[in-house]
Amino acid sequence: MALEQHTAKPIQTGRVGRGVVGSVLSGRLGWTLISFLALLALWAIVSTVLQSRLFPGPLAVGDKFVSEAASGELFLHVGITLARVAVAFFLAMVLGSAIGIALGRARGGTDQFFDTWLIFFLNLPALVTIILCYVWFGLTEVAAILAVTINKIPNVAITVREGARSLSRDLDEMAQIYRFGTWKKLRHVVVPQLAPFFAAAARGGLALVWKIVLVVELLGRSDGVGHQLHIAFQLFDVSMILAYAIAFILVVQIIEIALLQPFEKRVNRWRR
Amino acid sequence: MSDVMAKDKQAASGDEVIRVLVDEKLFPAVADRPEQIVLRGVDLAVTRGSFVVLTGPSGCGKSTLLNIVAGLDDNYQGNLSFGANTGKLSFMFQTPRLLPWRTVEENIRLVLDDDEALSDSEINARIAAILDRVGLSDAANAYPERLSLGMQRRAALARAFVVEPDVLLMDEPFVSLDDPSAESLRALLIEMWNKRPTTVLFVTHDRHEAVMLATRLVRLGGKPAAIVQDSEVTLSPAERLDREKVLAMRVKLFENA
Repeated sequence: MALEQHTAKPIQTGRVGRGVVGSVLSGRLGWTLISFLALLALWAIVSTVLQSRLFPGPLAVGDKFVSEAASGELFLHVGITLARVAVAFFLAMVLGSAIGIALGRARGGTDQFFDTWLIFFLNLPALVTIILCYVWFGLTEVAAILAVTINKIPNVAITVREGARSLSRDLDEMAQIYRFGTWKKLRHVVVPQLAPFFAAAARGGLALVWKIVLVVELLGRSDGVGHQLHIAFQLFDVSMILAYAIAFILVVQIIEIALLQPFEKRVNRWRR
Repeated sequence: MSDVMAKDKQAASGDEVIRVLVDEKLFPAVADRPEQIVLRGVDLAVTRGSFVVLTGPSGCGKSTLLNIVAGLDDNYQGNLSFGANTGKLSFMFQTPRLLPWRTVEENIRLVLDDDEALSDSEINARIAAILDRVGLSDAANAYPERLSLGMQRRAALARAFVVEPDVLLMDEPFVSLDDPSAESLRALLIEMWNKRPTTVLFVTHDRHEAVMLATRLVRLGGKPAAIVQDSEVTLSPAERLDREKVLAMRVKLFENA
């Protein structure tokens, strides 16, 4: 018995030691790294096998990425696209939230009445909105932003409306008893309850806005990532298409990690 | 108020803080349940500084009456009026109803910071004093859902008292607590009420609680409910903390219930 216990100990320590190394490798970061490298390897192998100008490998795309970055073109176009995304996203969130809150709190048939409108705009293809905006307002910046905003508003409105419908009546009565003014009630009672819905709308919205902005740029702007992709398409320059796509993915990930995740963490800090 | 009125102790109308008259209160038909008359012919006047406990069987309409007085329910036939200089009203609900995304201290500050008669330092002093009184000084920066239900109730009690209300309404504020926690909160309420007397309308179906707290006991009963008993409770603050005394009074008051 005593001997067994004695020998059992070092084995256990050994397990703990492996556990530490294993936990780093099997941790979230470890898996992300492994899967990223695997994807890169797969890409390199396929491009080596194909040996085609239309399927460049990671190195060729990397070269293009560096040269575009060095010339400043990459930052210019990504920056312009980012600015359009930011403005359209902000407008869509504010207007969509306002509509969502109003509909969610409306009594009687108002909500049902506008529900039809929402469904109409929700199912209107993005391309149609874009074309109509360009036709009606010209190939202008305002038309471009407007098209993206109109595409996004119904999604935000529907998500936030769901939140506004489930607002706590208990807290509403509390605010009434203690005579909270409109602004105070909005800030301390209503908006915190809607925070998870804003986060969901923002997350889904950003992904959508990004993609629509590219189409808008492709169809009617002379700068931005969408326009660069358009030129690369005409030249069959696949390296450039992929270089811009990667820059794009990087920026989206940075926004996700640096802005959205900290925001969600902050608004959820009170939860048990 | 005239001198004649002030001298005359019987002239309750000058001292009335709440006067509620409910001719009829209906619950509309919902799904398979028919329309229901909850209250009929309830006339209640509450005088300044009294602690009125509204009691009766569960579901008889006590909370409905309280919500009418609070102004949360105006869908009834009748009349509600408050005495002169009756401005501030507090309501301690059955659940704490704290804002879970604000700390205990922020929850209390929020009901106070619109009061233009108070300076920032006065507000801070008041919050510190009330937190100390309910024993939550150490939990001031905690979020409510991280606290026990008993502590959340203490925070709600602090919030109700911090505005120094002219009328304090309470709807079974100590239910679903274990007995010692509920009893210590009742003792705390008695202490706070003695320090700063205010007019209280308190709903409970717990007879021990009713007798322990009330200076006046109003019992609702029947269907639709009406006032079936209205008695003074003559216990001193010390006697209220004595279980035997409360029990004896309870037997006396509820003998024909």
